Formats: sequence, structure tokens, C-alpha cells
Amino acid sequence: MTEIQPVRKLTIIAKDPGLRIGNDGPMVFAQVDVPAEILAPGPTGYRIKVVDYNATERRAYAARQSYQSGDILLDPFAPIEGEALTDRDYQVRVIGNPNFHAQNCYAIAMRTLGLFERALGRRVSWSSGGHQLHIVPHAFALANAFYSEPDRALMFGYFFDEEGKPIFTSLSHDVVAHETTHAVLDGLRSRYTEASGPDQAAFHEGFADIVAILSIFSLPEVVAAGLGITDKLPGVGEPLAFITEDKVTPAAIRDSILLGIGAEIGMATGAGRGALRQSVKLEPRPDILNDPDMAEAHSRGEVVVAAMAGAFVKMWTTRISHLGTFDGLGYNMTAVIEEGAKAAAQLLQMSIRAIDYCPPTDLDFGQFLAGLLTADRELVPDDSRFGYRELVRQSFGDFGIVPPPGQTDGDGCWPHFAASDALRYSRSNAEALTRDVDECFRFLWENRDALNITERGYTQVLSLDASLRIDPDGIPFRETICQYVQMGHFFGSELMAICKIDPLPEGFTTRTSADLFGGGVVVFDQYGRVKYHIGNGLIDGERQKRRLEYLRDNGQLRAQGGDERSRFANLHLARMGG
Amino acid sequence: MANPVTATIRAYQMGFGDCFLLSFGYDDASARHILIDFGSTGMPDDTKVSLDAVAADIALQCGGALDIVVATHRHKDHISGFATGADGKGSGDVIRGLKPKRVIQPWTEAPDAPKGWKGPDGTKRANAFAAYQSSLENMHAVAQAVVDRLDRKDGFDPRWRLADRLRFVGEDNIKNLSAVKNLMTMAGAAKNNIFVYHGCVLDLSAILPNVTVHVLGPPTLQQSASIKTYAKSSDDYWLKARLLAALAATDNVSANKTSMLFPDLKSTDTFRKTKLPTEMRWVAERVDIAEQDQMLGIVTALDNVMNNTSVILLFEAGTKKLLFPGDAQLENWSYALQSDMADLLNDVDLYKVGHHGSLNATPKSMWKRFKKRGKTSTPERLKTVMSTMAGKHGGKNGAPTEVPRIPLVNELKADSTLFNTQDLKPTQLCQTITINLQ
Ligand SMILES: [Zn+2]
Ligand SMILES: [Zn+2]
Repeated sequence: MTEIQPVRKLTIIAKDPGLRIGNDGPMVFAQVDVPAEILAPGPTGYRIKVVDYNATERRAYAARQSYQSGDILLDPFAPIEGEALTDRDYQVRVIGNPNFHAQNCYAIAMRTLGLFERALGRRVSWSSGGHQLHIVPHAFALANAFYSEPDRALMFGYFFDEEGKPIFTSLSHDVVAHETTHAVLDGLRSRYTEASGPDQAAFHEGFADIVAILSIFSLPEVVAAGLGITDKLPGVGEPLAFITEDKVTPAAIRDSILLGIGAEIGMATGAGRGALRQSVKLEPRPDILNDPDMAEAHSRGEVVVAAMAGAFVKMWTTRISHLGTFDGLGYNMTAVIEEGAKAAAQLLQMSIRAIDYCPPTDLDFGQFLAGLLTADRELVPDDSRFGYRELVRQSFGDFGIVPPPGQTDGDGCWPHFAASDALRYSRSNAEALTRDVDECFRFLWENRDALNITERGYTQVLSLDASLRIDPDGIPFRETICQYVQMGHFFGSELMAICKIDPLPEGFTTRTSADLFGGGVVVFDQYGRVKYHIGNGLIDGERQKRRLEYLRDNGQLRAQGGDERSRFANLHLARMGG
Repeated sequence: MANPVTATIRAYQMGFGDCFLLSFGYDDASARHILIDFGSTGMPDDTKVSLDAVAADIALQCGGALDIVVATHRHKDHISGFATGADGKGSGDVIRGLKPKRVIQPWTEAPDAPKGWKGPDGTKRANAFAAYQSSLENMHAVAQAVVDRLDRKDGFDPRWRLADRLRFVGEDNIKNLSAVKNLMTMAGAAKNNIFVYHGCVLDLSAILPNVTVHVLGPPTLQQSASIKTYAKSSDDYWLKARLLAALAATDNVSANKTSMLFPDLKSTDTFRKTKLPTEMRWVAERVDIAEQDQMLGIVTALDNVMNNTSVILLFEAGTKKLLFPGDAQLENWSYALQSDMADLLNDVDLYKVGHHGSLNATPKSMWKRFKKRGKTSTPERLKTVMSTMAGKHGGKNGAPTEVPRIPLVNELKADSTLFNTQDLKPTQLCQTITINLQ
């Protein structure tokens, strides 16, 4: 009897088909870990269902691969005997098979989902309520790829370059990870796709790029190729390989394909202008977010990416500088790559956990930063060793993103809930409180005064999630994250009387009506007591006024929800059009 | 020299389209006639009016001679009436027979960049000019391909609820060669075709004495580059879109036994739409719709780009100002509104409602400038004229994209005297508005 394999290896194209070993060498393939499971054709597993239907051709491509033989899990596109991942013939054969594209999407999506589940220590649901997210690797002949919540799907298009060679968006790790992140984030914070201020839609885009970029650093051979190394990395016991100092300067790293998104698509659509996005090259300026051309969601999202990527470059190069150089040879390459992997993993984990500390509606960049800092402080209370938080805060500050003034503490973190003693716990069952949404709602409702939750709307607990942490003694414990939202329909006169918006925004009368959102995150500690309450009040006039003015200026005030698909579809369509 | 004393505007029944005959009466009993657009994408079902009947009336009203023809932009609903007939008796032949002395069009229609026109960086003008025009050609081709595909039996899922809208916008954006050629030559010598842009000098004093014509739009590429909201129209993007739309429109792409994308696949390794395995059907249906929605998105985007090439003319005669902006939308207006010509708008007396009453063709910041807006009793009250037909263009009723936009129509009614071609009876040719210029 064979031992059950704990994980499955699957072959993917790493980073992007535009990443080559050497100048015009082979693409970089990698074998990555995905959860072990018996896959149905597609591949179809417990979270992802690949359906290779092409609307332009009005036909589907059959899935003909075997993913297991009995209990043995297979990687059908692994190189055969005598072949290597870098062989051109191998690569041509594999790329010519639509089933490989399907596998590529499946593996990258599962890997991306896994990053979230590992960082959060729990399962993350899709927002549709379904368990399997569809992936359509050749959905249509259009230069577009997007996440569509109502279709429970990621759709990847294809187009052709100048020579008529097909460019498949489903072969770009950047693009697949970006779209999967949209879906995962929508599962965590379903209200972030609502019309809000300028930052929220931009955050969806920026966050998706951050995850796409940072998630690649755990693959050493990819990082090596991205740094321009053409040799194979040394294995255990083999002699050291070196990388010269000029290849790991901050400028060189900023320029590298590793911090760009969609190299191949960018080359094919932009007449050779390079990656689709290289946000890290944005020049920091504290007033950059006020630029009129920073209003579009992708452009604005690039600012968060730039801030995060800037922190990453600083972190990595600092860590590299602590490594000794070998006379005339440069740094130990393996160590350089390991330091990059550590820095990326740290920032990625921080970014993902930050979502638990972000308000469920109307997020802005400053609040995300506070969430980042808080999440990290919860994990690593002492920042003095590497000064990560200070570095992140500085990098965001360079772009004018600061923790919400007056609402955060000296570290830029959300403060602990101060009025805990005023809360009434006696009527709640502590065990049920952290497991049952109705029980949790009862607690919020009974304490609405102390928690400053207004009665002037409809309040609902959206989710109750466990957040596992380790105390300084190494003992794991559980905190609970409760997410609640508030909705209310207000007329102009009520905006004045209740929200104290006076004067009303230009263009509003006392009879103008508007839907307002609010809500918060309540973090219960291991004893079931409120530790944080991070929220946006429904009747917070100043904030709601800003939002209404933004919606008015962007013609979204009366936009009926309805067209969920076109939100990401149009956004991404316009973007790839450059 | 004679002075204009009256202006008469005839807004013809065009269904969804524009056709305005602007006639200036002079104090020496002479008159000058300007035809602004002549096109339709379809008449109301009950009307007795036809393009031929309108052409005949134009000939009658102008006494057999037109002074100026303005074609604001190249959309079918603005120029289809200029198409000539194989028998020489088309509506365009009638207009041609009226021997207009000048034809005015946006710079985008010019054979070469007109004098004073500047490219995005103010330098490489010839290149940028040609690239922009080829983008427009590619947009026509995308529209054509979409219509071809709608015509193909299995081109689009017939149950898709937006097919009519896609066809409407697609057909409006197909190149209208006959009309374009006629406009190019109907004024005789090439020098009589004038191609205009924001701020250019338009001297018509020889044929239109004592009337000043200001050109507020469209902006040149240099001007539009200075406003960031200007529609993205990367040449390369439209070339790609054209190729993809053409590919999707060919019969073979879905009818072939094998896949064009993966030609090595055996036909047994593909499933036709009608024979999909059960577990694929739910999402496949949705992928079809998503593709179609995107085609509509692309065609809507190019429709906007073309609308934004509209000539915006402001006629200043006697004490009055008459504004004809074609289908100019926000991006075109943005440049005019931030320029020093914007003040000219403050005392407009007659406003031709932009783009058949769509929301973003009457920008708030422009509308608010009109000082003569007001209740019925307002002296010298603003007059507005709109040519439109509901239910053709844009989103469903009540959506912000509906055309005409009902809240806008209500505002026009409340704060101006509105003449709407939708109110014409089936036998009525046009709305007639007379303005005293003294
Ligand atoms: Zn029109
Ligand atoms: Zn138009």
C-alpha cells in the first residue's frame, strides 16, 4: 500500500510567458504544490471547476488528461523521461494543448486561494455561495480577462500579436493570480464591489496586483530568471552560485519583470512598451492621489501597489545588504533569493491578514494601511528587529497614504476598544457569540449604544470568522472576527437632520435620495471580549458627504447595481486597451 | 451690407437622427440657408415622412440653393440622407442639386491635417493625424463585423436581450461611403470643404454676412491630450479589436469541424455548443452572454469616440446666439468648457440638444451657464430643440444610459421652451422655430 500524498505537484508557466531565461531563451516553467485531491475532468476539484468553452468558436475543448492512477496523483504535463522543463520542444508541445492552459489556471488559482487560507488559518468562501469557482481559460477572442461574481467565474480571453501568434491571458500567472484574488477578496469583503469613494474599486485592483506580484517569490527558479540568471540554481551540496551586485540594486529590481504585471500581454498590446503595469516605477509624491488621472481604478490602484512594492524593494535590498559579498563574485545567489522569498512572504501575509482589520464598506487606502499595521502588530508585537512596520508606513506615506488621523494610535494601528467595560456581556453566551451570527447580532444590538451602532438603518452580521494566532509562549489561540454592515435609504432632508450634512452637496435637494452604507469589524479576543471595533458609521456625515460627492461626479449616484458582470469586465477591457 | 433679422430653424422628423435647416432672413429680404446634418437610423412606425420628402422640403424652403452644409460627424443618423441613389434620385442627389457653397465638417474628415491643427505633442502632426483616422476606419470595421455577425445564423445567442441595441449602435457606426463621397464633392472645388476644430477661424462673411460662427469643438489631438478624460483611442487597440471582431464574424470560426485556435485538435476532442456535456452548460451559456456584453461595450465605446468628433458651432447673429453641438459628449465639451470660449455660452438663445437627449451630451456645467433658462414667464426664455426617438439608443427605460434621458427632458421642459421631434404628428414634416434677431 502506498502512502497518501499530502500535496500534488502540477506544472505551470511561472510569472508570465514573457519571462524568459536569458534574453530570448525558453519560458520559465515550474512545478508547484496544490492540494491533493482526486480531480474530475476539467480539471474540476473541490474549489475550482475549469470549463474550457470558447464563445467565439461556439465549442468546448474536451479535457483528456488523467490526473490520477488509482491513488497516485499525476502531473500529466510533467516533462517525460529525458526531457526538461526548459526544453523548447517540450514547451511548444505543452503550450499547444488547451488542456495545459486549463491546468495552468487550475493550479495557479488553487495556489492563490491557498495563500489566503494559510495566512488566515481558515477556509475562505467564494462570495457567490457556491463551492466551486468556474474558470474559463479560452472564453472569447477578446483582449480581456475578468472575475464575474454572478457567473461564478473567471473568464480569460485571448487575442493575437502582430505576427498572428495567439496570446492567452490564461497563461499569465500574473493575470490568473490577479483575477483569482478579485474572487477571493470578494469572498472576504463582498461589499467592496459596491459603488463607493475613489479608493475602494482601486483597492480591489491594487490588492489583486500585490498578491500576484508577491506570490511569485516563493518560486526560486522564477526569481533567478527574473534577475537575469541563466544558470540552473545549485542544489543541496552543490557549489555556491553568485549574483553580481549590479543585478540586485533597488533600481535593477524595480526594472525587473518580477515587479511588473502581464509582460507578454503588455508587449503584444502596447507595441512593445513592456509590461501591462510596472507600478513600482511610479514616482512617489504625497499629493499623487489628487491627480485627476489617478481617479481611474487601475491607475489609482497602482499607487497602493507602488507603495507596497516600494516597501518590498527596500526590505529585500536591506536584507541583501546584510549578506556578505564574496570578493569579486557578488552575493550568494541562493541566499539573495531566500531573502526575497522571506520579505515577500512577510508582506503577503501582512496584506492578507490586514483584510480582517478593514471595515466592510467604503474602504480607503489609509484604513488599509492601518489594517496592515494592526495585523502585523498582532502577529509580531515587537517591530524593533526588522522595523517592517515602520518601513511599510514610510513607503505608504511617500504616496500620501497615512493611517486615518485621529482614529489610529501612535503606531498607526487601530486602537484597542476603549469602552469594553461599558459593554453588556451577561446576556450573551460567550461560546455561541463567536460561532453563531444571530447570537453575535444580539450582542451588537444590545450594545448598540456603547458600540455606536445607529438604529437609523438596517444592520446585519455578514460573517463570523476565526483568526488563529500564536501567543509568545507558542500556544495557539483563537480570536473571532465579526463583520457587520448597515444600509439605509436617506432623503436630502434626512442627510441634513440625521447625518448633519449641511449644506447638502451641490446638486442635492432635500428630496434627493441616496443609499448609504456603513458597518464594521468587531474583533473578539480569546475570552469573547471586544478587542477592536473598526468601522465606518452609517450616519458619519463627513464621510458620507465625500462619498456622495464622488458618486455624483462619476455618474454613479443613481446607478442601479444590476450590472455586476460589466463592472470588472469593462474595467479590465478598457485597461488592456491601454 | 445686409443684416440678419430673423432665424428660422426647421427640425425635421428623422426618427432617431438629426436634420436641421437653419435659415437667416435679412433686412434686404434675402435669405441664407444652412443645412445641419441629414440622417436617420429609422423613422417611427406611424410617420408618413421619408428622407425623400424631407429633401424635397429642404429644396423648397431654400428656394433651390443651399449656402452651407454642416455634417457634424460621420454617424449614419447624421449623414445617411446625403447618400446618393443609383438612379441619381436619392435624397443626397437632391441636396447635391442645391449646390451648397461650403461643406463644413470636423477635422477628422479632412484628407490632410488642416492648417493650425496640432497633434498630441504639437509636433508629429502628420503621423498622429493619420493614426487617428485609421483608428476611425478600424472602428467602422469593428461595427461592420459586429453587424455581420448579428446577421449570421449562429453569430449571437438569439435569446440575448441586448441584441437589438447592439445592432442599432453597430449599424449607426458602419461607414456610409456614398454619403461621405457626396459630402466631399458636392460643394465643387475642394477648397470649399472646410474642416474645423476648436478655436479655428471660420470666415464665412462672403456667404453669410454679419453672422459670426464660432467653432467650439471638436478639440484637436493636442487639445484633447490636455484633458485626461478624453476617450482612449489607442490606434493599436482598435486595430486589434478590428481583427478580433472580424475573426468572430467569419463563418468558419464556429462552423468549421475543427477549432481555428487549436487546429491540431481532433474534432472528437471538441464539443459543439449544441452537444456540450451537461456539466459545462450552465457556465457556457454565461460565457456567451459575457462575450456579447463585451462586444456591446466595445461598440458603445467607439460610438462615443465618433460622437466626440462632432463639430460644435455657435452662430452669433444680431443679438442672438444659436448653439448646434451635434452629438458632442462630455469629452468633447470638456475642452470647450475650460477654454476662454466658454463665456460665449452664457447667453445662448437656442440650444440644439446634444446627442438626442443623452445624459452626458448636455453636461451640467454647460447647462448651468445658460442664463436664459427659467420658468415659462422668463423674458427671452431659452429655446431648445431636440431630435430623438425613444427606445433606440442606450439602456433600458430608467437607466442612466437611456436616450433621451427622461430627467433631462423634464428639465428641458421646465426651464426652456422645448421643441421635440417626438411630438410631431405622423403627417408633420418638422418643428419650426422662429427667432427674432433684433
Ligand atoms: Zn446622432
Ligand atoms: Zn452620433
